[in-house]
Amino acid sequence: MKIMDKIYQKKHELWLHILFASFAINDEEIKSKLYDFSQIAFRHMKWLGSDILESGSDYNYDREMTLYKRDNVFEVIQALKDEINSIQKIYSDDILANRIKTDDIYLLEYLEQILRDSSNNKEVTAFNMKREWLDKNLATEQIDALTLFLFEESYKEYELILVYAFMQARTDNTTQFSVFQDLIDESHFHLKSFGNMMAKLGILALPRELHELTYVVKDLEKFVVDGIAEEEAAKVMCKELSDAIKDEDLSKFFDFINYQESYHIELMKRLLK
Amino acid sequence: MYENVVMPEGMSAETLEHLMNPKNYGKLEESNCVGVALDEKTGEYTIVYTLLDGEIVKDVSYATNGCQDTVVIGSMFTDMIKNNDLEYANGAIEKMHQKLGSLSPQQQICADLVFSAFIASLKNFENLSSGAEEEMHVLKMKDSCESTGKEDENNG
Repeated sequence: MKIMDKIYQKKHELWLHILFASFAINDEEIKSKLYDFSQIAFRHMKWLGSDILESGSDYNYDREMTLYKRDNVFEVIQALKDEINSIQKIYSDDILANRIKTDDIYLLEYLEQILRDSSNNKEVTAFNMKREWLDKNLATEQIDALTLFLFEESYKEYELILVYAFMQARTDNTTQFSVFQDLIDESHFHLKSFGNMMAKLGILALPRELHELTYVVKDLEKFVVDGIAEEEAAKVMCKELSDAIKDEDLSKFFDFINYQESYHIELMKRLLK
Repeated sequence: MYENVVMPEGMSAETLEHLMNPKNYGKLEESNCVGVALDEKTGEYTIVYTLLDGEIVKDVSYATNGCQDTVVIGSMFTDMIKNNDLEYANGAIEKMHQKLGSLSPQQQICADLVFSAFIASLKNFENLSSGAEEEMHVLKMKDSCESTGKEDENNG
């Protein structure tokens, strides 16, 4: 594997690592900061991808990573720290790499700061598989429906982020570029929402790896038509879930997501013009 | 791991474990045959990588852009047939029925997407063995998820 491809893969893995650490940790301040860092790591990935394409090479979404079921915050933070340290050795020495390195160093300092305060070392419940939502009274069937929805849609949002990013990196059309960016931003928000819900239920898991048959799009029109059908299906799932969940806050949330999917369809239609 | 977890009634711990960590997921670099089952209406596919050694499935993996039913069935099926012979693998559809209870029409299509991809990989092996040049063998599905309801999809 070429060094740039290796850096890209490692950055992809690091983005997911920071993102899922953010989901796993309950402390709102740490969660929020790690989420911001994950977004920075995603932008690193985007810029690295651009450089790779400009150099006439290519990248893929292969990854080799496991999300270990950690029991406490310090285990999550230590594992993240180790991964950031290990990636430092493979960065090259150019403007982008130097920017990335300084971002990583700042994140490492933040992680050290967390580790210095033992009161931060709370229990991590994101992987306990208990499927309990402590402040909600949800029946088993509702929890089952929610569980399947979250697995289905967290994968789908991850898939959409990467597929849109792959196409965005390869278009010279400014309208398409802008639509892809909107769709990526929307999917980041959905993935964040669903990831945090999965953690709350104790079923946090990585979305499965994308196969190139999924993201190498040869026919944009067919992709968009299929994508609109998927958005329609997601709307139905949201509506069914909203009806099934006998909790006012959650029902409202899934209605809110449902209406967002409607707008995604409008955005996608612009890709066909 | 999941054997010791007490789950609420409904979805089993085994199903949840397959959802959280699908077995044999991803590319298998050492495979000697590759098959794809494609639902052209929805664009959903399953790809199966098989490493055959005579009649034995030495290794197998899969990937899919399909729904969670496909993921769980793919995980269970590949786990069942790994290190078993082809006769066992061919009887796996029946075994999967026993394992999953009565499948809904939609789940049956998901299961068929997985089984057909495996069968396509065997066809790819046959074609390659007879000297054909074929990167992967693709089978197009007759039935589509699009034409069935999803009402029973929680029967994991």
